[in-house]
Amino acid sequence: MAELVGLAEGIAALVHDGDTVSLEGFTHLIPVAAGHEIIRQRRRDLTLARMTPDIVYDQMIGAGCARRLIFAWGGNPGVGSLHRLRDAVENDWPAPLEIEEHSHAGMANRYTAGASGLPFAVLRGYTGTDLVRHTSSLATVTCPFTGEVLTAVPALNPDVAVIHAQRADRKGNVQLWGLAGVQKEAVLAAKRCLVTVEEIVEELDARPNAVVLPSWVITAVAVVPGGAKPSYAQGYYDRDNLYYRRWDAISRDRDTFTGWLADELGS
Amino acid sequence: MSIADVCVVACAEAWRGDGEVLASPMGVIPTLGAKLARATFSPGLLLSDGEAFLMHENGIEGWMPYRQVFTVVASGRRHVMMGASQIDRYGNQNISCIGDWARPKSQLLGVRGAPGNTINHPTSYFVPNHSPKVFVENVDMVCGIGYDRGAFEIRVVVTNLAVLDFDTPSHEMRLRSVHPGVAVEAVVEATGFKLSIPDSVPITREPTESELAIIDRLDPSKQRESQLPRP
Repeated sequence: MAELVGLAEGIAALVHDGDTVSLEGFTHLIPVAAGHEIIRQRRRDLTLARMTPDIVYDQMIGAGCARRLIFAWGGNPGVGSLHRLRDAVENDWPAPLEIEEHSHAGMANRYTAGASGLPFAVLRGYTGTDLVRHTSSLATVTCPFTGEVLTAVPALNPDVAVIHAQRADRKGNVQLWGLAGVQKEAVLAAKRCLVTVEEIVEELDARPNAVVLPSWVITAVAVVPGGAKPSYAQGYYDRDNLYYRRWDAISRDRDTFTGWLADELGS
Repeated sequence: MSIADVCVVACAEAWRGDGEVLASPMGVIPTLGAKLARATFSPGLLLSDGEAFLMHENGIEGWMPYRQVFTVVASGRRHVMMGASQIDRYGNQNISCIGDWARPKSQLLGVRGAPGNTINHPTSYFVPNHSPKVFVENVDMVCGIGYDRGAFEIRVVVTNLAVLDFDTPSHEMRLRSVHPGVAVEAVVEATGFKLSIPDSVPITREPTESELAIIDRLDPSKQRESQLPRP
């Protein structure tokens, strides 16, 4: 049964130093406000997992929250590189960042295995690539029926999943719609989860293609209007494309970034 | 007619004869190519907006949210055109890092969907800056696999200079055509490994009048012109 909490209270209770944390979202509904709260609370040594890390992970990495990143694609969507991610991998600034690289399908399958209570997932992919040399969390498995050799990737069960959704009811049932990534799988795979929502409503009426997460799979819900900005929440607000372009200039330079961190997050 | 227009048509040609598959172009010129192919000789192509919808020129024709794409990848009914920071003679592609993986000189975007794409369905590449930095003897990190590592099919590589394919007995890269005004020697010089060069190299076909009209309609602000390096 999900508990209704404040954002700061929820992060303090659920996200601890050293945890494996997944802030999931794909283009849409990215839990940015929750990521900023993790920065404000100065979490350290996190293993950050996400299929497609974008600027909120760049900010968390630049702020020194992360020790390791598990991902398939890391970029500023439509703009270019993540400069804080690059500085951490290439120059150990502000701290060394280990990376564990998978393909998109590999990441999605790892969460699905985790959500299903299975130890690993099988896919056709990775064979022949250099991921086999660099990524220890993969292996081959032989199909017992056909003899085909396939790739196995271990279940990903984060300590905490954090997602943003459009709304919840008072019991903590959550509903999100529009473009969905792997939020459902990440929540079901995680030991604990926090969902930030635009609003609490009396009743969740039917929406086409909605994902509904029942209260009993959720640890805590926090009402954070605008919690996905500068990404968007369908039906609530649009994507702030200018912010993504501005981030490129802010993040290129360590001093500019440090100034941003102090001004915006008091960190 | 510009070289960007020639590139759009060369990209479109990559999808000729594909029938009803999901066309997944990355970038402005491949996207225009896929839309041109759909509007002309490959009407069965499915085009995603990259997020959740299947699009035709005048709007939405279907719903395929991002995660469903993995099922399509596994089924093989997709032909993607990706970018390549490095590519070798067998079509092994790198978009992950330049230099040593553990301590790269440049950390790039990550392998993305390349490992699954190249083993499951046809893949093509678009390289806007054909140079020895991109066309290398050995890529620093194999993300998309080439023919020597079991690729399903690497169809073509379209660049700002030429169209390349792997239509040789050993599936090594071959010069298929040079764009109008480009010398074969210029392509050889811009390639960091030995290319297979046929005795006679044709010129990449130019857009027809009606194709040019469609390209202009699809890209009225001429975004395509800013995608290639200045000559």
